[in-house]
Amino acid sequence: MSETMSQAHDQQTNWGVSRPDTENTVARIAVRGLDFYYGNNQALKHVDLDFPDRKVTGVIGPSGCGKSTLLRVLNRMYDLYPGQRATGEVLLDGENIIAPDVDVNALRARIGMVFQRPTPFPMTVYENIAFGVKLHERLSKAEMDDRVEWSLTRGALWGEVKDRLHASAMELSGGQQQRLCIARTIAVRPEVILLDEPTSALDPISTLKIEELIDELKNDFTIAIVTHNMQQAARCADRVAFFYLGEMIEVAPAVQMFTAPRERRTQEYITGRFG
Amino acid sequence: MSDTPDHVVKSYDQELKRLRSMMTQMGGIVESQVALAAEAIMHRDAAAATRAVEEDPKVDALEREIETFVIRLLALRQPVADDLRGIVAALKITGDLERIGDYAANVAKRSIVLAQFSLPYSLAGVAHLAHLVQQQLKSIIDALGDNDADKAMEVWRSDLVVDDIYNAIFRELITYMMEDPRNITPCTHLLFIAKNLERIGDHATNIAENLYYAVRGETLPDARPKGDTSAYAVVRPRE
Amino acid sequence: MRVGAPPGPARDQAVARVLGRRRYRLNRLIEALCVAATVLGVLLLASILLTLIWRGAAGLSVSVVTQSTRPPGSNGGLLNAIVGTLIQTGIGTLIGTPIGLLVGTYLAEYGGHSPMAHAVRFVSDVLLSAPSILIGLFIYQLVVQPFGGFSGIAGCLALAVIVIPIVVRTTEDMLQLITPTLREAAVALGAPKWKVIVLICYRAAKDGIITGVLLAIARIAGETAPLLFTSLGNLNWSISLTRPMASLPVTIYQYAGSAFDDWVELAWVGALLITMGVLATNILARVALRGRRTS
Repeated sequence: MSETMSQAHDQQTNWGVSRPDTENTVARIAVRGLDFYYGNNQALKHVDLDFPDRKVTGVIGPSGCGKSTLLRVLNRMYDLYPGQRATGEVLLDGENIIAPDVDVNALRARIGMVFQRPTPFPMTVYENIAFGVKLHERLSKAEMDDRVEWSLTRGALWGEVKDRLHASAMELSGGQQQRLCIARTIAVRPEVILLDEPTSALDPISTLKIEELIDELKNDFTIAIVTHNMQQAARCADRVAFFYLGEMIEVAPAVQMFTAPRERRTQEYITGRFG
Repeated sequence: MSDTPDHVVKSYDQELKRLRSMMTQMGGIVESQVALAAEAIMHRDAAAATRAVEEDPKVDALEREIETFVIRLLALRQPVADDLRGIVAALKITGDLERIGDYAANVAKRSIVLAQFSLPYSLAGVAHLAHLVQQQLKSIIDALGDNDADKAMEVWRSDLVVDDIYNAIFRELITYMMEDPRNITPCTHLLFIAKNLERIGDHATNIAENLYYAVRGETLPDARPKGDTSAYAVVRPRE
Repeated sequence: MRVGAPPGPARDQAVARVLGRRRYRLNRLIEALCVAATVLGVLLLASILLTLIWRGAAGLSVSVVTQSTRPPGSNGGLLNAIVGTLIQTGIGTLIGTPIGLLVGTYLAEYGGHSPMAHAVRFVSDVLLSAPSILIGLFIYQLVVQPFGGFSGIAGCLALAVIVIPIVVRTTEDMLQLITPTLREAAVALGAPKWKVIVLICYRAAKDGIITGVLLAIARIAGETAPLLFTSLGNLNWSISLTRPMASLPVTIYQYAGSAFDDWVELAWVGALLITMGVLATNILARVALRGRRTS
C-alpha cells in the first residue's frame, strides 16, 4: 500500500478515537527493578514499567498494592520522610533519578504532581500559579501574566477566574481548586504530570471536567494517573498497569485490560471477584 | 471456569446465572423444534410439524426477554472483561438461536406440503444433513451451558462437513428436477428445506464463534472453513 | 442470608418511656448547671470590670497622661509609667517573638520526635508555667548584678523570656495544623524546604501565630513581679534603657498599698488603663484577623 493509502487505512481503523491501540511510542520514564521500603516493610517488589511519552498510563489495584507509593517514587517525594528508601532505577531520558546526587528541586520542575485533596496555597489565584514559576524562572511582570493566563487556560479554569485573579484561592469551589492545582503544576512546564487519585474528593461533574482536561493535556504532557475507580482508568488511560501487593501483575492497553486481560488475578480484580 | 471465585456482590452472580439459564432454556426449545421438524420430514408427521411451529412464539418471547435483560446488565453492572464478553455474546447468540427456531419452523411448514407428494427417490441425504445439524446444535447448546470453548471449536470445524453434504444434495435435487418436471415442486421444497438445515448449521457455527470469544477472549480465525459452493454450482444436463 | 432481629426480648415501650423521661430530666439539669456556672462567671467578671471602671474613671483626667508620677499631694500623673510599659512590652515582644518563632518552627518542621525536640518542648512548657518572679530573679542574676544596676533593658529581657514559650507553643501548634499535603504540594513544585516554610507554612499559619503574639503581649503588659527585680520602677520621667524604668503594674503596686489618697486613686486609674489596653488589643486582634480570614 502506498503511504497515503496506509495512512487512510490507519485513520479508518482508529475511527478517529483519541486512543489508538498502536504502541510504538518511546518511554519517557522507564522504571527498572524498583524496590521500595517503608522501614523494613517492602512495599514495591522489582517493578518494571514504562510510561510512554505523551500517553496516559493508569495504575490500578486494591488498597495497599503500592500504586501511590510508585507515583511518589517518580518525583522523589519519599525524600521528605526518613526511613523510606528506594533501590533500582527510574530513568528519565536515560538518567536515573533516584540516584543520590540528583538535584531533586530541578527534577520536580520536570515531573509535577497533583494530589487527592485540592491544595490551594493560602494566597491569591495569581500568586498560586506564580509560586512554582518563580522557583525556577525569572520572568518579567508581562511574561508572568502571560504564563498565568496560559496555565489557567490549559487548566480549563481561565474563564471562571479571569476576573478574580487577585482574590484568594481558598474561595474557589472544590473542583475549581483542583483545576487550579493542575494549572499550577503545568505552569512550570513539566514533562510529566503525576495524578494521585485526582478526583476522589470531587463531585461527578467536576470529575468529568478533569477527565476532559486530562484528555487535552496528554497531547503535550506524559501523564500517570493512580485511581481506585476502574471506570475512570477505563475512560482516561491509554495503558493500564495492575498492581497487587507491591508487584506489577499486568500492563496492557486499556481496551485489552478491560475486555480480555491475560492474568487471572487482573480479571478477578476488575470484575469484582476479589474476596 | 469453575475455579473463578464468585463476585463479591452476590446478586451479580445470580443475575449472570439467570442469564445463562434463560439461554439454555431457549436452546432447549430450539433443539426440540429442530428435532420435531426432522421428524416431520422423515415420517410425514404433521402433528410434529405443528408442534414445531407452535414453539416459535415462545422462542421469540425468550429472545426479547434476554435482550432486555442484557441491556439492564450493561447499564447497571458496567461489566468488564469476561463478564462483558459473556453478556455481549449472550445477546448475539440469542439472535442466532431465534433464527434457528425460525428456520426449523420453516422446515416444518414445508414438510406438511412435502407430505402430499410421493417421492420416488430417497431422503437419506436430507436425513443425514438433519442428523448432523441436530448433533451440531446439541453440542453447541451443551457447550453453552458449560462454557466449553473446546467443544465450541469442534462445532466450528464441523461446519465443513455439513456444507459438503448440502452441496451434494443440491446437485442431486437439480438432477431429479431435470429428469422429470413433476419432481420440480417437491424438489424445490426439499431444496429450501436443505438450505434451511444448512443455515441452521451456519448459525450453530456462529454461536460457536461467539462462545469461543466469550470464554477465551480471542476470536477464531476469520476464515471459517466454508464449504458451501452451491452458489457456484453448475449442473449440466446429461445428454 | 437474612439477619433479622437481634437476640433478646422485644422492646418494652413502658421501659423506653421511663428511660426517655430520665434522659430528658438529666439533660435539663446539666443545662441548668451550665447556665448557672456561666452566670456566675459573667457576674464575677462584670463586677471586676465595673469596679475598675467606677473607681478608675473617677480619677481619669488629662493630667494622668500628661504628667509623670509625682510625690503625693502634687498633681501627678502616670505618663512615665504608661510610656515605660509601652517601651518594655514593645521591646520584650520584639526580642522574644523571633526567638519563639524560630524555636517553634524547629519543633514543628525539623525536630519532630527526636530526643532533642522532646527536650526543647519540655523546657518550653516548663517555662510557660514558671512563676514570673523566678524569671525576674534570673534576669537579676544575669543582667542586673553584673552591670551593677536596675535597668529598662533588664525589664525588656525579663518580659522577652516570658514571651518566648508562649510564641513557641502557638507557632508549633499552628504549624502542625497545616496538612502535610499542603507542604507536599509546595515540595512537588520544586520548592526547597526553607521556602516551603517561609512562603507557604508561615502564610498558612499567619493568623494563629499573630493571635499567639497578641496573647503574649496582653500577658506581659500586666506582669509585675519580673519587673520588680529588673527595671525596678522609676518615680521620675526616664526612657533610658540603662536606667531603672517605670511601668504601670509596678506603679500600681507601689501606689495601691500607700497611705495617700491621690496615689490610691491613680492606682485605680492605672489598673483601668491596663485592662482597657489588654481589652483593646484583643478586640483589635479579632477585628483585624476577621477581615483577613477567608472561607
